[in-house]
Amino acid sequence: MLGKGGKRKFDEHEDGLEGKVVSPTDGPSKVSYTLQRQTIFNISLMKLYNHRPLTEPSLQKTVLINNMLRRIQEELKQEGSLRPMFVTASQPADPLSDNFREAQPAFSHLASQPLLPTDFVSTTPLESCLTPASLLEDDTFCTSPTVQHDGPTKPPPPALQPVKDSFSSALDEIEELCPAPTSAEAVAAETAVDDSKDHASESNVQKPEGLPESRTAESKLMDSLPGNFEITTSTGFLTDLTLDDILFADIDTSMYDFDPCTSATGAASKMAPVSADELLKTLAPYSSQPVTPNQPFKMDLTELDHIMEVLVGS
Amino acid sequence: FLGAGGGNDIQWCFSQVKGAVDDDVAEADIISTVEFNHSGELLATGDKGGRVVIFQQEQENKTQSHSRGEYNVYSTFQSHEPEFDYLKSLEIEEKINKIRWLPQKNAAQFLLSTNDKTIKLWKISERDKRPEGYNLKEEDGRYRDPTTVTTLRVPVFRPMDLMVEASPRRIFANAHTYHINSISINSDYETYLSADDLRINLWHLEITDRSFNIVDIKPANMEELTEVITAAEFHPNSCNTFVYSSSKGTIRLCDMRASALCDRHSKLFEEPEDPSNRSFFSEIISSISDVKFSHSGRYMMTRDYLSVKIWDLNMENRPVETYQVHEYLRSKLCSLYENDCIFDKFECCWNGSDRQIIFHRTVTFFLPSLCSIVMTGSYNNFFRMFDRNTKRDITLEASRENNKPRTVLKPRKVCASGKRKKDEISVDSLDFNKKILHTAWHPKENIIAVATTNNLYIFQDKMN
Repeated sequence: MLGKGGKRKFDEHEDGLEGKVVSPTDGPSKVSYTLQRQTIFNISLMKLYNHRPLTEPSLQKTVLINNMLRRIQEELKQEGSLRPMFVTASQPADPLSDNFREAQPAFSHLASQPLLPTDFVSTTPLESCLTPASLLEDDTFCTSPTVQHDGPTKPPPPALQPVKDSFSSALDEIEELCPAPTSAEAVAAETAVDDSKDHASESNVQKPEGLPESRTAESKLMDSLPGNFEITTSTGFLTDLTLDDILFADIDTSMYDFDPCTSATGAASKMAPVSADELLKTLAPYSSQPVTPNQPFKMDLTELDHIMEVLVGS
Repeated sequence: FLGAGGGNDIQWCFSQVKGAVDDDVAEADIISTVEFNHSGELLATGDKGGRVVIFQQEQENKTQSHSRGEYNVYSTFQSHEPEFDYLKSLEIEEKINKIRWLPQKNAAQFLLSTNDKTIKLWKISERDKRPEGYNLKEEDGRYRDPTTVTTLRVPVFRPMDLMVEASPRRIFANAHTYHINSISINSDYETYLSADDLRINLWHLEITDRSFNIVDIKPANMEELTEVITAAEFHPNSCNTFVYSSSKGTIRLCDMRASALCDRHSKLFEEPEDPSNRSFFSEIISSISDVKFSHSGRYMMTRDYLSVKIWDLNMENRPVETYQVHEYLRSKLCSLYENDCIFDKFECCWNGSDRQIIFHRTVTFFLPSLCSIVMTGSYNNFFRMFDRNTKRDITLEASRENNKPRTVLKPRKVCASGKRKKDEISVDSLDFNKKILHTAWHPKENIIAVATTNNLYIFQDKMN
C-alpha cells in the first residue's frame, strides 16, 4: 500500500478512478464511472468479508461499507439491472468460513445470514446480464424485511428469512422458466437451515413462495449483509456447501447454458458471450487460477481454499 | 493591553518526546488517547496494551524562566486487561479508548479510563510518608511480644521516597453491547455518560451496578441500521445538555429534562451536502470522528475526515466556520478507502483557556477564556492549527529530527499538484502510516501534547 515516504505511483487503472465522480449520464465517461463504481463495490465486499477474526470489527466501519454497497446496488437497480446473479466463484463462500470463528451463538443472533452466491452480485454492469422481461413485473419496491411466518415455525424466523428469500426467489425464477422439482426448494431450505442448527419444518419451505414478489433485489442482497451487525464474524456462512450443492442439486440443468454469468437464472440464451468475458476479467484478479470462458462453473473445495489463501495472504 | 496569542503568534518549539526510538512499533505501545488534567499539571496517555502512563509537570524553576516545567513519568499502571467474550468467541481489546480526568477535590487524583466495554475509575494517590515507631510491631513488621513492652511511644510519620499508587475504585461494566467510543463527565461532577455505537448511558460515579440508558438508536431490525453514534459530550456548563455525533455527519443536542430517553433531539445540526463535491465517499468522509464543546459552551467543534467545523449552538443548519485539514486528499479517497485510512478517527481540540488579562489603570480584568485556536492531526506526522481570529493556519510536524529544544518548528507544506517547491512534500510522498489522531492542549498554558503512533511529543511556545 502506501509506504513510508516512498513515492507512490498510481497506475492507470486507479487514475481513472480518482477524482470527482463522473455523472453516470455522461457518454464517454460513463465507462469510467461504471468502472469506478464496480471497483468500489468489489473493494467493499472484500472489506466486509475479509477481516481479522479475533476481535469484533468496528460496527461503524461495517455500517458505512454496507451503506456504500446499498447505494451502489440502488444505482444499479435504477439503471435497469434487476436480480443479482449467481456468479463470482472467486468470492467463495466456503473457504471464507475457515477464516472466521464459528461462534454459533444463540439463534437470535441471526446465525444464518448465509453468504450466498447471490450476495456477491455480479461484478459486471448488470445491464449486460439480461433478465427475462417476464420477471420484471414481479419486482415490487416494497421491502418487508421481517415478514413473519404464520403457522408452525421453528426459531429463528428472522434468521431464516433472508436465506429463504434469496434462495427461494432465485429458485422461483428458475421455476417460472422451467418447472423445477420442488425438491430443489427443499434442498435449498434444508441446507440453509443446517447452518443455524435448526430444522425447518416443511411449512417453512412452502411459505417463501409468496414472499419473493415482495422483496426487491436489493433487499435480498442486503438481507445477508447486515448479518454482520449482530454477529460480528461470519457465522452466517454456509460452511459445508459448495456452489454445486446449492445450485445444481436436483435441478434439471439440461436446459441451462453454464455460462458463469447466468447459472441458475436461466437467462443463458440471452447472454452475450462478451458479458461472461467481462465478468471473468473482473474475476481474474481475485482468482489464482486461469478461468476460461464457457467452462462449466464448478470449482471444488480445494480450489476455493487456495483462492482464499491468496486473498487472505495479500 | 495584553491579549491571548493567536495560532501564528505562537512560535512552537520542541520540548520533549516520550516513547521508544526505534521504528519497529510494538502494537501494545500504540498511543490511543491523550488528556491533560484540569490544572495541566498531569498528562495522561492510554495505549493499545491497556496501560495508562501519567506524566507530571515539574514545578517551574524560578531560575529557568525560559521554559516551563518538563513532564516526567509520574505513574504507570495497567488499566485494562484483554478479555474474552465466550458467547461470541471474540476477544475484547484492552486498548484504552478514552481517558477523562475528574476535577481535583482532595489530595488524590481521579480519572476515568475505558476500553470497548468497561469503564474504570482510578484513584492516583501519593505516599511520601510512612509511620514509624509502633509499639507492638518491629520496624520490619514482625509483632513484638507484648510482655516485652516497657514503655510507650507515639508513632510518627517520617518521610519516604515518593510512591504513586493507582487503584481502581469503581468498575462500571456490562452496560454496553457495542464498542464504547466516548465518555464525558458532567458539569455536576457526579454523573457521566458513556456512548457506544448505538446507545448512550448515564452513570453516577458512585454507583456501578446500574446505569440509565438515555439514547438508543438501535433499530428493531438490525438490517435497517444505517447510522451509528460516533462521539458524545456533555455541555460544559449545562448539566442537562449533551450532544452526540453520528456517522452521517449529524450532531444532535439533547436535553435530559425533556424525557428519560432522549430519542428525540432538541436540536439537529447538519450541513447540507455540497453537490459539487459529491462522490461515492461523501457519506464516509462526513462521518464525525470527534466533537468538543468550547469552554464557554457557546460553540462546538466537529472533526470529519477532511475538515474541522465550528458550530454555533444557536444555528443548526450550517457551521459558522469550516477549516480544511487536508483537502488534497479529496482526490485520493478511493485509495484511502482501499487501505482503510478513510476510516481513521482524528480528534480535535481547542486551545487552552488562557484568559485574556487586561490591565487598565489600576484595575485588572480577567476576561473569560477565548477558544480562538483549534488543533487537529493529519498524516505524515503532520498536525494543523487554525486561528479563528486571523484565519491563518499552520502545519507542523512531530518528528525527532526537529528535537532541539527552543528551536522554533518550521512550518510544513504539502504540494497538492503541479510543481513541487523546495521543502514542500507532494501528496504521493506522504506516509499514511504515520498518523496523528490524538492531540491535547494544556488547559492554561501554550503547551501541547501530540501523539504519533507510539511517541508522545510535547511542544511549548517560545517564551520571550
